[in-house]
Amino acid sequence: MGIVGEMRFVGHLMRLNLASNMEYRASFVSQIVGMLINNGIYFVFWLLFFDRFQEVRGYRIDEIYLLFAVFTLAFGMAFTFAGNALEVAGLIAQGRLDYYLTLPRPILPHLIFSRMGQSTVGDLTFGVLAYLFTGRLDLVSIGLFVAATLLAAVIFATFAVTTGALAFFFGNTAQLSSHLVQALGSFALYPFGLYQGAARLILLTVIPSAFIGAVPVQVVQLRDGGALVLLAGVAILSAIVMVGVFRVGLRRYESGSAININI
Amino acid sequence: MASIVLKDLRKAFQVKRKAAGLGGSLASLGRPRYETVEAVRGISLEMESGELLAFIGPNGAGKSTTIKMLTGILHPTSGEAQVLGFVPWKQRRELAYHIGSVFGQKPQLWYHLPPIDTFDLFAHIYELDRKTYERRRDFLVEAFDIRDLLEVPVRKLSLGQRMRCEIAASLLHHPRIVFLDEPTIGLDVVAKQQLRDTIKQLHAEEQTTIFLTSHDAGDIESLCERVVVINHGQVIFDDAVKVLKRRYLRRKVIEVRFAEPTNGHLDLAGVSVIKLGRYGAKLELDTSSRPIETVIQDLMAGHSIVDINVMDPPMEEIIRAIYQRDSAFEPVAEGA
Repeated sequence: MGIVGEMRFVGHLMRLNLASNMEYRASFVSQIVGMLINNGIYFVFWLLFFDRFQEVRGYRIDEIYLLFAVFTLAFGMAFTFAGNALEVAGLIAQGRLDYYLTLPRPILPHLIFSRMGQSTVGDLTFGVLAYLFTGRLDLVSIGLFVAATLLAAVIFATFAVTTGALAFFFGNTAQLSSHLVQALGSFALYPFGLYQGAARLILLTVIPSAFIGAVPVQVVQLRDGGALVLLAGVAILSAIVMVGVFRVGLRRYESGSAININI
Repeated sequence: MASIVLKDLRKAFQVKRKAAGLGGSLASLGRPRYETVEAVRGISLEMESGELLAFIGPNGAGKSTTIKMLTGILHPTSGEAQVLGFVPWKQRRELAYHIGSVFGQKPQLWYHLPPIDTFDLFAHIYELDRKTYERRRDFLVEAFDIRDLLEVPVRKLSLGQRMRCEIAASLLHHPRIVFLDEPTIGLDVVAKQQLRDTIKQLHAEEQTTIFLTSHDAGDIESLCERVVVINHGQVIFDDAVKVLKRRYLRRKVIEVRFAEPTNGHLDLAGVSVIKLGRYGAKLELDTSSRPIETVIQDLMAGHSIVDINVMDPPMEEIIRAIYQRDSAFEPVAEGA
C-alpha cells in the first residue's frame, strides 16, 4: 500500500473517530463550545491590553489576531486529527500499543490518528474566526496562512509524540510530556520580541515555540518565502526526530497486562 | 510443515522494587532498585500447520509474554523464533497479514461503535477488496451467530457476545495462524462452551493453525490435541491432550444443590464426599475409576437436584502433579 493508500486508511480512521465522538452528542457539542469560550476569554485579555498600550515588542493588535489565528488553528488541527499524539506516553506506559503492533499498518500514523480530539474542534473553529478578524482575505495571504499553519500543526503534533515517546526510556512520562507541550504552546502565545538570549535559543531549538507562533506570523505578515521554507525544514526535521526516537524506543516496549478498550 | 519454530526463546524484564509506604517511595526516588525478572526462560518448540495447540500455565507463567514475542509485539532478550518463516519482531508488518490475534483482556473492537464498523476498518487495514470482505464477513457472521449484534454498540454487548465478535474480526483476513490469548476469560459456562464449539468447527473446516493460551483446563480438554504446559517461563509438559487427561485431569469436583434436605448421608461408589450440608454437597471423583455420567445419573436418581457444577482441578494443581511425577518422589499412577 503506497502513500495514497495510507492516506485513504487515515481518512477512514478519521471518519470512524468522528462517528465514535458523535455517539455522545451533548458531550461533543459542549466541549467545542467550552473551548471557544475559553479561547475567547484569553483573547479578550489581549484586546483590553492593546486598548491601553499601542504596541508590545513590535506586536500590535493586528499581529495578535494573526498569532491567535495561527496558534489555535495549528493546535486544533494537530490534536483534532492526531488526537492520540497527546496520549502517547500513557499508551506506552500502560502497554496499549499491542493493538497497533498486531496489525499490518505503519504504527505511528495508525496510533496517532486512532483518536480524535473533541474540545480541540473548538480551537479549530476559533482559529478560523480569529483569521477573519485579521482582514487578510486575499488568496496569497490565505494560501500562506494555510501552509504556515499546517506546518505549525505538524511541529505541534510531532513534538507531542516525541516527548510522549520518552516513556519508552523513562517509564510513565505523561506528566512531563504534558508540561513540555504546554510550555511549547505557552511560549508561542506571546510576542517573540519578549524573549532574549538563551531563552530565544531554547525557543528556536529544544522547545520550538517560535515555529508555531512567531515564524508563521512572519510568513503571513511579511509574505516571507524564506521563513516558510525554514518552517517546512523544521517540520520535516521534527518528524524525522519523532520517527527516530519512536523506533529506538519501540525496541524497549514492555507491553503490560492492563485491560484496554478502543474508544 | 512447521508454522512456528522457537529455539531457546528468552525474555527478561527490569522490574522496579520498592518497600511499602511513603518511606519506601522516598528511598526509591533517591536510589531506585531494579530486579531482573525472567518471564520466559528458554522455550523451544515446533508447531505444525493446521495444529490446534494449547499453551497453558498459571498466571505469570509467561504465556502472554511468549505470544507477544510470536506476534512481534515484544523483542526477546535472546533466542530465535520463526512464525510462517518470518522473524516476528523484525518482520512484524509482513507477518501481521497472515496472522490473527485475540487478547482476551485487550479488545480490538471500538467500544462506542458497533462491531460492523471495526469489521469495515479491518477490511481497510488488511486491504481486502469489498467483495472478498463481504463474503468472508457474512460467512463469519453465520458461523459465530452474531447477525443481531452487528449494529449494536460494543459497550452494550455481553462479554460472551463481544468475544464472539472479537474472534470473528480476527478471522476476517483468512489468517493462517490465530493466536487466542485467554479467549474464554470471564465467560460463563454456556458462553465458554459456545465459543469453544465455534472455534472447533472453524478449525475443522478451514484447518487454521490455532495457538491457544488459557489457564482453564476445560478449554484444552474440549479443543486441543496437543498441550504445552509452562511454568516460571519454562516448558514442563509437551504432549498429547489425552496424555495430560489420563495423567493429570482425572480428578473432577462436583458441586450439587438439592431441592430438599438430605438425610445427612450420601453414599456413592468411587466418590469421596468433601463437604455435605443440608441442601448441598461437594464431591470428588477419580474419572479413571468411574465415569462422571454414572455419578450424575446416581445423584439424579436419588435426589431432586436444582443445580450441579462439574469442575476441573485448578491449573496450579495440574502443575503440582506434573512436578510430583517428574521428581519421581510421588509418582502418579497412570490410569487405563
